[in-house]
Amino acid sequence: MAEPAKEKGGSLMKESWNMVVTYVTGALLVFVLTFHLLLHSPLMGVAFDSTLLFPNATGNLVDYQIVFGLLLIGAVIHGFNGIRVMVLEWLHPTRLAWLLNLIVFLLMAFFIAVGTVTLVVVG
Amino acid sequence: MKREKRFGAGLFSSLNPVGFNLERWSYTVHRATGVVMVGYLMAHIFETFQLTGGATAWANTMSALHSLGPMEMIGLWLVAGSALYHGGNGIRLILNEAFGMFMGKPILPVYPYSPTSLGRSQKVAVWTITVAVLALWVWAGLYLLAGLGVI
Repeated sequence: MAEPAKEKGGSLMKESWNMVVTYVTGALLVFVLTFHLLLHSPLMGVAFDSTLLFPNATGNLVDYQIVFGLLLIGAVIHGFNGIRVMVLEWLHPTRLAWLLNLIVFLLMAFFIAVGTVTLVVVG
Repeated sequence: MKREKRFGAGLFSSLNPVGFNLERWSYTVHRATGVVMVGYLMAHIFETFQLTGGATAWANTMSALHSLGPMEMIGLWLVAGSALYHGGNGIRLILNEAFGMFMGKPILPVYPYSPTSLGRSQKVAVWTITVAVLALWVWAGLYLLAGLGVI
């Protein structure tokens, strides 16, 4: 993978690191999201509705807690960073970019917290 | 100079692919499917959180979703299609942007301009993804909407 672009003076540009994070989380999601979808597919040998029953849903979270943790973190970071980039490209908020970044960061933290509580309590 | 109508300003013009090339269509669909999935992600995290309330809370959540009738499965089918396209096209974009694959060699910009980034290999990649995604999406539709667990 290409090295992130560097500013003069050698410091790394923030947005180039964001793209690296986007690529890494995107590649991660290809695997963990595929796994998640396969748990609800005919490969499991049960009907789709049956995979949503309480014992099956909680069983998946318990058995594959790390996978679902990676899925949660990867999806939230990739998704909300994508929305942030779209808003930046749409509005070009030069003065309020920090506010957008803050809102997106808080949303990421909130949804990761809710998902983590689910994984911990169920697990 | 008169501005071409397709080069309008604003969010919707920036996303409008009509009159542009194959990559622009891919760009628009990638963004639209991304927004769909972020919306579903937020709802899905809250939905899954209901598991912490025990079997009764989960059964109530499922009942509420089932009360949507066919819209529940149609919604899941649209999300499945979004995930398939966004994932497949995302792999292509990573290979393009991070590894420089399918991009072609840079050439001097001689009129009429023809972007080397949209060469034959790029078009083959885009169409391969599109056909594969459509095939999987049809299968997902049969599985979700018709209950046919054929694989």
